[in-house]
Amino acid sequence: MNDFTSVIDSPEQISLAAERLRQTVMTTEITPNTILDVYETWAAALGARETADIPGVAFLRLWLRRGTLEPIITRELGRGALHADWMEDGRARLKAYPIGVVGHWPAGNIEIQPILSMTCALLGGNTSLVRIPSGLVDQTRRLMQKLDQGDTARVVTGRVFMAAFDHERQDLQEAMARAVDGAMIWGGAEAVLKVRELPFPHWVRLAVFGPRISVAAMDADTWGNRQERESWCRRIARDVWQFDQQACSSPQVLFLERKAGHSPAEFLEDLRKAFEAENRVHPRQTIHPALTSAICQARASWLLGDTANSALFSLGPDWTLLVGSGSEIPKPTQGRTLTVLEVDDLFDPISKLDEGVQTLGLGMKDPEREEKLASAAARRGVDRVVKLGRMHVFAPPWDGVDLIRPMVRMVRHVRSTE
Amino acid sequence: MESLGERIDRLLASPPYHLPPGERSLVLLEMLKDELEYAGERNSGLQNYIRHWPVNFRLARRIADLPFLPVGLLKAQPPLSLVEKGEIKKTLTSSSTTGQQPSRIVLDSPTARRMTKGVVAIVQDFIGSTRRPYLVVDVPASVRGGPELGARGAAIQGLQPFATEVTFCLSQSTQGELTLELNKLLEFAKNRRETPVLVYGFTYILWNYLVKPLLADGIRLNIPNVHILHSGGWKRLQDEAVEKPVFNEALAQVFGCSPDCVIDFYGMVENVGIIYPDCPAGNKHVPGFGEVIVRNPLTLEPVAEGEQGFVQVCSVLPTSFPGHLLLTEDIAEVVANDGCSCGRRGTCFRFVGRAPKAELRGCGNIDSRR
Repeated sequence: MNDFTSVIDSPEQISLAAERLRQTVMTTEITPNTILDVYETWAAALGARETADIPGVAFLRLWLRRGTLEPIITRELGRGALHADWMEDGRARLKAYPIGVVGHWPAGNIEIQPILSMTCALLGGNTSLVRIPSGLVDQTRRLMQKLDQGDTARVVTGRVFMAAFDHERQDLQEAMARAVDGAMIWGGAEAVLKVRELPFPHWVRLAVFGPRISVAAMDADTWGNRQERESWCRRIARDVWQFDQQACSSPQVLFLERKAGHSPAEFLEDLRKAFEAENRVHPRQTIHPALTSAICQARASWLLGDTANSALFSLGPDWTLLVGSGSEIPKPTQGRTLTVLEVDDLFDPISKLDEGVQTLGLGMKDPEREEKLASAAARRGVDRVVKLGRMHVFAPPWDGVDLIRPMVRMVRHVRSTE
Repeated sequence: MESLGERIDRLLASPPYHLPPGERSLVLLEMLKDELEYAGERNSGLQNYIRHWPVNFRLARRIADLPFLPVGLLKAQPPLSLVEKGEIKKTLTSSSTTGQQPSRIVLDSPTARRMTKGVVAIVQDFIGSTRRPYLVVDVPASVRGGPELGARGAAIQGLQPFATEVTFCLSQSTQGELTLELNKLLEFAKNRRETPVLVYGFTYILWNYLVKPLLADGIRLNIPNVHILHSGGWKRLQDEAVEKPVFNEALAQVFGCSPDCVIDFYGMVENVGIIYPDCPAGNKHVPGFGEVIVRNPLTLEPVAEGEQGFVQVCSVLPTSFPGHLLLTEDIAEVVANDGCSCGRRGTCFRFVGRAPKAELRGCGNIDSRR
């Protein structure tokens, strides 16, 4: 069986693989509908024991379903795109064509991200050259083996090359950049900047996702509602736990709007219980020692720095709630460390957001006020405003950018016979 | 009723490694609780931290459950203090890499006195109590200066109670380059064949400015009755691929002594009055006035024998700054909870290295906001 991840040692290996991918994309056309058939089978296979424990697989299975992707294809590429039909556009007709070989530079912290990134480019008819971060080689291999089992005709696997190499190998990074027509880049500030500096050809299309952070906010009628409070706390815990709070869509701070007669103490107690419960269900399996240090440091700095601050935390590094007041976003600690800040008016922190904030997770009672808040956040640069508990739901546009469209060319044909 | 200071002094007066671990834990647990209370009364931020600790420290049954501070907190400016400004006699600073803030440790007279006593009690257990000529492989400037003393200076001064005379054998150029003063060194070495001698230097300084030049020139000092103590870590020597046996053997050649005379010790200025020399079995031991807890980074629970984790140093000695329970970023392995073949009681461990720095942490990792 093909293990799908080639350990790369020379730039020539990358050039050869890219050349093969380019021949494939130039000589064969594939419809999104055909790809969706393969994805459906793949989604079913991913429920197997070998892959079920990979973080994010439940989401990946949902993502690969026809019911999820068909509407996205239609919205981004048009009604006829599913079967690669031309679409009428006045006196002309339009059709999406691939841009060619798309390179993927996924972040090292999201196990399913190499696959997610790749699936988007493939739906545009492209081939994919994917750099696998060293920590994700095993998981990616297992996920791809499930694809291989159902893709006997190599409809999809024939259009993919997965390259495993150390991110410090500048010669290999450069060879990969030179070989692609498009690049989907995900990751932290340093990683993104390094990739953007690579010698891409002048025609390359870049789609950069991250680095961003996300915030959450609730009005007092929501957090003060005894009947609904537990459910909201569970939602917040879920958003904090996924991806160990390292994703751009992870909330780092929760703003609670004050209201006379409402004390956040009971809410915080429920939030503590929700964090403990989430930790029982999804305990960490490993941790980078530096993260443990950072968590301990954040707790101590918070409490020593201001005697008005309080905190709730486990004895271990499992979870932390740093409680205080103020409308500034504190420096994120990550690692399931949520700062909870009381504010007089939710519009105060929203007015301080900028393009560094990707998602605003909301819990609001008043829909009109929520609309105003969402608009204010959008004007400040926020790209996603969603209900708490749904902050990581991967749906385009992501970071304000479509996921398939950036990697296709919309070809316009005006018939000469017209 | 005995005061806290008197209880600390009584503990300091006992032989450092004779208490059985269970007995020692009980004594330390109660003293550390009293010291936490004392510290909280003197620093409101600390009080806030202690109050929010998940375990009420007064009810804690293990030292491991008491509220520890990450050592990085001691980089605060102004330094964390439990005494009035006028009571501060000296400030120790840690060695720090370029651009990083060093730790600042404030010492009042009682803490400074206990610091000296602690180091003397420990070193005495390894080399005996005789005073002897003391060769410092460093420059005199390391111990000079104003009210602040760096890590090298603190280590040099800590061993001075064992000295009849002190000789520094390095000099420093105006550009800051260190050079061996060979004539001074040879003069010191003359007629020392029968005399007990103490030598101290930072590990990389000993190697680069004493061992390497003397070996290159084929010079031997002929001081067989020497104890060579060194500290400061192995990072720079690891970069040069110099392992401990090679280092010890080279020093033994230079001094004409047995490699067993070379004693590496682990210590940090934040853990005042306690150092951890290697015993003949190659392990590090904890004196009766302190404890070392090695914590699993995943759970922060103490690890079992044979396992590695973060080093937490505990000490009852300081009363001028909150250095009683400090979680470091160093990694060690617990060799045994008791029963080292050298006869010293209690936990013995081996230093492994600094915890690795964090990797890039994904798409949520922003270096700076716009």
